[in-house]
Amino acid sequence: MIPPPNLFHNEFGLGIIYSFTIIICSLMVYFGTKEIYELSSYKGLKYFRLSFLFFAIAYLCKSFISFLLFFLGISRIIDMSPMAFGAFALFMFMYFSSMAVFYLLYSVMWKRWKSHPNVIYIFHLIAFLLSAGSILLRGRGALLGLNLCLLLFVVFSVYIAFKDSKNRKAKHNLYPVYVLLLVFWILNIFDVLIPRFLTFFQMIVELASIFMFLLILYKVLRKTGPE
Amino acid sequence: MANRGRFEIIRDILAIIKSSNNYIQFTPLLRKSNASSSRFKKYYAWILEKGLVMEVVDNKGNKYISLTEKGFKFLEKYETIVNFIEEFEL
Repeated sequence: MIPPPNLFHNEFGLGIIYSFTIIICSLMVYFGTKEIYELSSYKGLKYFRLSFLFFAIAYLCKSFISFLLFFLGISRIIDMSPMAFGAFALFMFMYFSSMAVFYLLYSVMWKRWKSHPNVIYIFHLIAFLLSAGSILLRGRGALLGLNLCLLLFVVFSVYIAFKDSKNRKAKHNLYPVYVLLLVFWILNIFDVLIPRFLTFFQMIVELASIFMFLLILYKVLRKTGPE
Repeated sequence: MANRGRFEIIRDILAIIKSSNNYIQFTPLLRKSNASSSRFKKYYAWILEKGLVMEVVDNKGNKYISLTEKGFKFLEKYETIVNFIEEFEL
């Protein structure tokens, strides 16, 4: 009788491929926009680039967490021994993924929030608290509820920006892409915090996330590439 | 369009310098830029700080303004920068 394929190994392998595809896309966006940022020193571009740099770091942490789970055969990173190692990996993932989203939000909202220069520091603080909470809070429900509230706030802010946008009717409007990116961000957090949360939808979510990042990369390269 | 306005003025200032054989004095540059004195000074300070232009003093002590390599690059990439900012709603 042929033994069934080792699903766990396949999941791990696919997860690593998924993470590295996003890391490469994010780094290509970051370095692809380096020249126009250096020439213009435009703040929106700075936050946009930082967002993708943080996405790359966050997904690197995610791959590292997946590797640890796979290698040690545990289901939750927080169960790792010594605990500090797993807690640190989880903290880094939460912090960088939250800041990636906050930077993306700030890149489209910074002009509206010009009068509140401390907003970005508040975002750093929220990201820090979320990351610390992900380690300290044993009840996952509270943390997931908090993340959902944040998602609603971020989506609402993007909607406000969309409403004010001059390109609202443009065919190539990027706001829906931003919103989907945020939804995939929250699903990725769920995936790390609740083992097997995405088991059924894993492949769909990963493919859709890759599609979003590739779409943004395509648009960046089309705009910044050679004439 | 506020950003296009800002970058447009900077582009215009750089284009004037370029079209003057990359060698122009401050007063004619201010006059040709069609910007108010305060606005011009603000943008001029910015392009000087960012290294898009440099000031050159000749033997007689006259100060001239020239584009740097970065300034030429900015002119070349101007459309790319503005289109990128608009496309990504930054």
